[in-house]
Amino acid sequence: MSAWAGALCIFGIYTVLYRENKCYRLFEHIFIGMYAGYTVYVTWAQVLKPKWWDPMTAEGQWFLIFDAIGGSMFYFIYSRKHAWISRVVFGLFMGFSAGGIFREYYETYFPQMGSSMKSFATSTGAITLGHVFSVIVFYVIFIAAMSYFFFSFEHKHPAVTSTAKAGRWFLMIGFGAMFGSTVMGRMTLFIGRLNYLINVWIKGTVLPEAHYPAFYIVVGVVLAVIAASVALYFSFRHPVKKTED
Amino acid sequence: MNLLYILQNLDRRILYVAVAIVLSVPLIIRPWQHPAKDTIFPEVRQAYDTINNVPKGKIVLLSTTWGAGTKAENEPQLEALMRHMFKKHIKFAILAWDAGGSEITWQSAQRVAKATHAQYGRDYVHLGFKTGVTIAIASGLGENFQQVFNVDRNGTPLSKLPAVSYVKNYKQLGAVVDITSTGMMGVWIPYLTMPKHIPLIYCPTAVMAVSAYPYLDSKQLSGMLNGVMGAVQYETLIGRGGVATDASATSWALSCAHIYILLLIVLGNLGYLAAKRAGVSPGGRRIG
Repeated sequence: MSAWAGALCIFGIYTVLYRENKCYRLFEHIFIGMYAGYTVYVTWAQVLKPKWWDPMTAEGQWFLIFDAIGGSMFYFIYSRKHAWISRVVFGLFMGFSAGGIFREYYETYFPQMGSSMKSFATSTGAITLGHVFSVIVFYVIFIAAMSYFFFSFEHKHPAVTSTAKAGRWFLMIGFGAMFGSTVMGRMTLFIGRLNYLINVWIKGTVLPEAHYPAFYIVVGVVLAVIAASVALYFSFRHPVKKTED
Repeated sequence: MNLLYILQNLDRRILYVAVAIVLSVPLIIRPWQHPAKDTIFPEVRQAYDTINNVPKGKIVLLSTTWGAGTKAENEPQLEALMRHMFKKHIKFAILAWDAGGSEITWQSAQRVAKATHAQYGRDYVHLGFKTGVTIAIASGLGENFQQVFNVDRNGTPLSKLPAVSYVKNYKQLGAVVDITSTGMMGVWIPYLTMPKHIPLIYCPTAVMAVSAYPYLDSKQLSGMLNGVMGAVQYETLIGRGGVATDASATSWALSCAHIYILLLIVLGNLGYLAAKRAGVSPGGRRIG
């Protein structure tokens, strides 16, 4: 039953690939509603009850009531007259976060600044051609990328403009690598759902015959014929136009 | 009509069907051998060594910040790490920052524990879902673990669970593993792992991995599992290179997807050039 429900939801959500439709919206709202409801339950059962309600009501930690008072102060933001009450806790949290930024910056970026000062010698003290080349490449890219973001004076000198231009290219290469990973990540999510459909729903519930290779040869041929038919249909439905010029 | 011209106006839904077919093949076949079995990224090996070197008497904290949306990437990472720790008899605690992820990681842990004959409470615990000011939790657990997590997800006091009953503060933490789709690294590094000198292993989705390399270089991270490929390589390291796992099938499918996308890029560009040269209108059209 759960496998069928899962498969139904997957198909319902993926109908959006064909076009925006009501079936997709229905399953989208089911998912959002379920997730929101589940989060409320889990927050109560695994956070508020053991950490706040039980100690306050059963273990004599009555002072935890102040947590509820402090928390409820946030909601005064909806009252024009009493909004100042919410600003007290908002201010408290903003100060808390601002103080934390100092520490976060120090612990996060200072070690990276240190590691950017690379030695031409390896950790064992040896100087190898490969390592030296690697460090030179690092410094070239590092200086070029930094010069691109250096706005204290105008980039007029050819040495600066060309370095900054090279920096822009290196940044683009970096963004390209990130985008490649994005495609990989999105594909993996789709693969996860396909894996569920094939190995949980089809093999486990719908068709036990799906464990045999012959089954897939037949399905593959049928799918290929369907795909080819669809491709031909769309090709002839929208003939290629000649440009006017 | 030239096939390359037709490709210029191919409906994107045909491409979707083709993607599904291409990806289905490895998932159906489920190859026994992992792809590129001899290729292990240095950061994956470093993560493996970090777990291997967790001293006896210390636990590993598995922080999970993911839910159903990135299950395909993050679950194989979690399972590979859990298998390794069960094998090495390293105790660990799972902590979920996502409500849905709390249930998914619980089911995943139960499944792996059953397969490896591990026992809940003795070998591992699940601390359940946590919400609130994350930096306060991350910082506080290093000072007083039992106060921050007084009970597990089932409401059992930690003092009754042998796996974590002796954990008082950061001194009993052998490593922190951040399995994430949102990036909790910015919390762990400044508030726990760097000040207390605890190794941090980062297990992000593939899209986030590129930006983590400076952290590896500065030794703020002690290893990384780059998406599902990192999980597959980790499986190889723990001796599951010849087992048909979901991660393995996924990585084969991913390789097929890469080839498919490259092929489309080449064909698309060839079609564009051919159409331009022949004076035929290039480019797509509106659909739907």
